[in-house]
Order: sequence, then structure tokens, then C-alpha cells
Amino acid sequence: MAPKSRAPATTPSTTAPTTTTASTPAKSSKSGSSSAPQDILTGIWNNYVNKTPSRVKLLDTFMAFLVVVGALQFLYCIIVGNFPFNAFLSGFSATVGQFVLTASLRMQTNPENSKEFEGTSHERAFADFVLGSFLLHFFCVNFIN
Amino acid sequence: MRWLFSFVLATLLAAVHAVSYTGSRLLVVLEDAAEKEKYGVFLGDLESRGYHITTESPKSDKLSLFKHGERAYDHVLLLPSKAKGLGPALTANLLLEFMKKEGNILLALSSENGTPSSVNSLLLELDIHIPSDKGAVVVDHFNYDSTSAAEKHDVLLLPFPKALRPDVKNYFGGEGVIAVPRAVGQVLGNDSPLLAPVLRAPSTAYSYNPKDESDIVEDPFAVGAQLNLVSVLQAHNSARLAVLGSAEVLQNAWFAEKATLNGQAVKTANRDFSEKLTSWTFKETGVLKVGKLLHYQDEGVSKKLNTSGALPENNPQIYRIKSDVAFQVELSEYSKTHLVPFVPADSDVVQLEFSMLSPFHRLNLTPISKTANATIFGVSFKTPDQHGIFNFRVNYRRPFLTNIEEKRQVTVRHFAHDEWPRSWQISGAWVWIGGIWVTVFGWLAFVAVWLWSAPAEKTVKKTQ
Repeated sequence: MAPKSRAPATTPSTTAPTTTTASTPAKSSKSGSSSAPQDILTGIWNNYVNKTPSRVKLLDTFMAFLVVVGALQFLYCIIVGNFPFNAFLSGFSATVGQFVLTASLRMQTNPENSKEFEGTSHERAFADFVLGSFLLHFFCVNFIN
Repeated sequence: MRWLFSFVLATLLAAVHAVSYTGSRLLVVLEDAAEKEKYGVFLGDLESRGYHITTESPKSDKLSLFKHGERAYDHVLLLPSKAKGLGPALTANLLLEFMKKEGNILLALSSENGTPSSVNSLLLELDIHIPSDKGAVVVDHFNYDSTSAAEKHDVLLLPFPKALRPDVKNYFGGEGVIAVPRAVGQVLGNDSPLLAPVLRAPSTAYSYNPKDESDIVEDPFAVGAQLNLVSVLQAHNSARLAVLGSAEVLQNAWFAEKATLNGQAVKTANRDFSEKLTSWTFKETGVLKVGKLLHYQDEGVSKKLNTSGALPENNPQIYRIKSDVAFQVELSEYSKTHLVPFVPADSDVVQLEFSMLSPFHRLNLTPISKTANATIFGVSFKTPDQHGIFNFRVNYRRPFLTNIEEKRQVTVRHFAHDEWPRSWQISGAWVWIGGIWVTVFGWLAFVAVWLWSAPAEKTVKKTQ
């Protein structure tokens, strides 16, 4: 991770490791990693906030929401038990399936992938997404009985 | 005219009923016609109970246990004969064949006459062992009749037998003493569950051959309660065989004789005992009959049951797992002339098995009610959580009672798709139901926001 993250890092962070490597490598790595990852993360975050289109951001928010809901259901299953197992399966797979569908919508509508999906318009991708989601919800509600 | 008809019918019915449950044709095998006099009272008693007695000599050409491949008689009484063999009509195989066709045999042995070879091999086949040497008798120096056997001590005076076990009914009990003169003691094999002792020798008795010149009996055939004076076998098909150690028990000379037991004058009650023994052996007592067998879905409401014996059984063919089922069976016991409600011995119960290969339930049946001639036993239970082909099975085998083996096959199915509880009825599923709807509404919100946020970007993208 370290060499990869170093490339986009800002200049002040690169100077700090070079000075410390000469004296004590063990200590330097500690002090360097405590400040660098934070910078890296903020860098990534800033990049994301600045460069991502708002619709992709919306997709990402929805996906994060699905991850949270799915994780909560899974946690409940671990703690309480899987008694109506079909209920667990349908509840959990609703979030997983929705996540997968949203991920494919994100792939098809992301401007960066426009070359790969030249044949499919965004409207078409969104219509597919809506149809798939309807089917998924229908199956899940049926399966939970 | 009508009263005459009903009178004739009633007498006919009485004549039919006043005998064994299985039939009234009795064959008495007796070598010497002159000997018949000795058994006069006994045979007269049997005749008065409704048996049609045919007396044949084992040497007779006409004698055959079978006719056209079926039993020619319902019961056989084999009295001892002097001949070594019983001839071609009474081989051990034929006697066994007779029992396989549900014929009953009363076998009377005698120490004075040797046991015929066919009887010997029959007893060996059935795991009943008798002394091999002719003339061996059961002797007891404490319970003998001092009037007739002051020297030899070979006429035993015994009380009527008690119940074999606390959970077995006693069909041979009575008042008085039984005189058992010069008996051939039998020892029962350990392996056969079909054998049961009726009259055991007292603990002071032993088997002894008077021809032995020695003063001390060395290595006696058997001693004490090991020796049976009367033992019985009931086959799986409920055919009965009784072995009576001493044919003299049935003779007039001992039916109501004055005897002396330990200085006290007693009167023998052999007539009573032989009546009990023959009525058991020839299926006048201890015969069980299964009446109507009912099983039905127990829905908690009383409904009209098809209990009438005239209507055929109309039980369901299929049940669901984990459903309430009720079971009823009618049991009657034949007692000499008619069927009476069957009452098991005190510490005994009839059980129902609900089984697929092995029983999933084995339940005690409790008497619910009694009709004029049957007890209705019943039990309710829940079918197990296992689908498949099950049997309602009543398997009741007890000493001295005919075997009951009744099965009714049913299918036990699993839940139909619309019989499961709905998801919201199970509180454990609420979280996952919530999960689905949160996902659905979250998705709706997302779609709304997506469409609302669309125009600016969409047009841009379209132009691209």
C-alpha cells in the first residue's frame, strides 16, 4: 500500500520519510504512517467529492445505505438466530440483490465507463434497473410469505 | 310360527355359542376303547359343553387330521397309548401342520406308557423337554397323598396355580387341591417366548425313575419348580398346545377323590382344573377379538364417530405432520359362551404404536368406555414431525391370551404451502420483514431523487 499511496501524495509528506529513513527506520515508519494515511484519506475524499458526478454520488449513498441495512440484518441473524430462515434469506437477499442491481446501474451510468457502454443509453440502463428491482421486490415479498 | 322359528334360532345360537370360539369338532385319540370308560366323566363334561367328540384309535385307517387340505377337527385330545408310535396319521409334522392351521392340541402324557416317538419329537421341536427314560415320575416327599401313595409319594396334591406374573391374567385359578398322580415332569426351554408354565411342581419335588435301584438319586432330570406338571404353548397364530404331565388327572378315579395331605383329609378338585385346562386349550377362554378400529383427525369438536360394527371402517387415509389424531379400538374377550369387555390385568396396558419402520410413538391405551361386549380403548396424540407412510399398530402379546396384531396404514404428509404460519405471525421474522420494506422504500426514495435530479445531467449526456 505504501508505495502506491505515495505517488498521489502531496510534497510535504514525501519530505518527511526521506529525512527519517536515515536515522531510525522503525520509528520513522510509525510517525510517517500516522500522518500520511490521514492525508491520503482526505485526499481521496476530496478527490471523490470534487470529481464525482452528483448522480454517481447518489448511487453511492444508496449503496452505502443498503450495506448498512444488510449488515444490520445479518447481525440480527447472528445474535438472535435464523429461525424463520426464509425470512432471513429474503430480507438479506433483498439488500444484496438491490446492491448488485445498483452497482450495475452505477457501472452503466458512470461517465468514465461511457466507452464500454456505448450501446446503452442511461434511460435504458435505468429502465432495466427499475424492472430488475421490481422483480426482486416481488420475489422477496413472496418468499418471506 | 314365528315364535317357533325364534325359539329354534335361539337354541341353535345357544348351541353354537356354548363352545369354543373356533369350533366344536374334537378328536379324542385313544388306543383302547375300553379305556374310554376311565375318562367318562371328563368326556361327558366336554360333550355337555357342546363339543362333538369323535373317538379314534391311532391305528385306525380312517384317522386323519385333515380333509381336503383343511382341518377335519378343531381340537385334538391325545391320550396316552401303549404303542410306541402313533401311526402315519399323527406324526410330529402333521401335528405341527395341524397347529399351523390353528388347531389346538391337548397332550396328555403318562409315565406308565412310554411317550410315543412322534410326541417326543413334537415336544422337542417346541422346546419342551421330558425325561427320556420310560417310567420317570415326579416325586415329592412333602406334598403327596398319603391315602393312595403312602409309600411311593408319587401322587402330588397341589393348590391351584396363581397368576404367572402380576401382569398376566390367571385362567387356571380355583379352590381346592389338584391331584397329579405319577406325572411326567416337563422342563421348558429358555429360548421360546411362546411357552408358559401352568402348574409347576413344588420346590421339594424332583423327577425320579422308580426302576433305578440305587438308594440315592444321582443327577435327576430336573428338580423343584423347574419341573412343570402342566405347561402350555401358544403359537404366533394363537394355536394352543397344552402338555399335561399326567393323563390320570382327567380320569374319573381322581375327579373328586378323598385324599390326605399332611394328615388332613381333602377332596381333589381335578374336575374343576381339567375343565379350566380344556376350556383354555380349546379356546373357550383367553381369546381376544378386535372390533372396530377408529382413527380420526382430532379437531377439538365432538363429532359423530363411526362406531357401529355394522358399518365398514371409514378412516382417513392421510394426515398431516404435527396434527392431533385420536385413536380408538374395541377389544373383546371370549369367555366360554359370549364376548365380554376385555379388561387387562392390573399392571398391564394395551399399547398403540405409531410406527414407520420403528415406532415414533408408543402410547398406553386407556379404556374410554364399555359396550355390552367390548371395551373401547383410546388415546390422542400428535403426529410426529416426520412425513411418510405410518402404521397405527396394536401389537398385544401376552401369555394365555391370543395375540393381537392389528395395523392400519396411513400417509403422513408435510405441510401444504398454505398451511405454514404467515411471516408476520412469527415475531422473529419482524426484523427481516422490516429489512425488506426499508429496502423497498429506500429504493423508491432513490428512484424519486434520481428522477428529480435528472434533467441537467441528462441533457448533457444525451448531447454527448
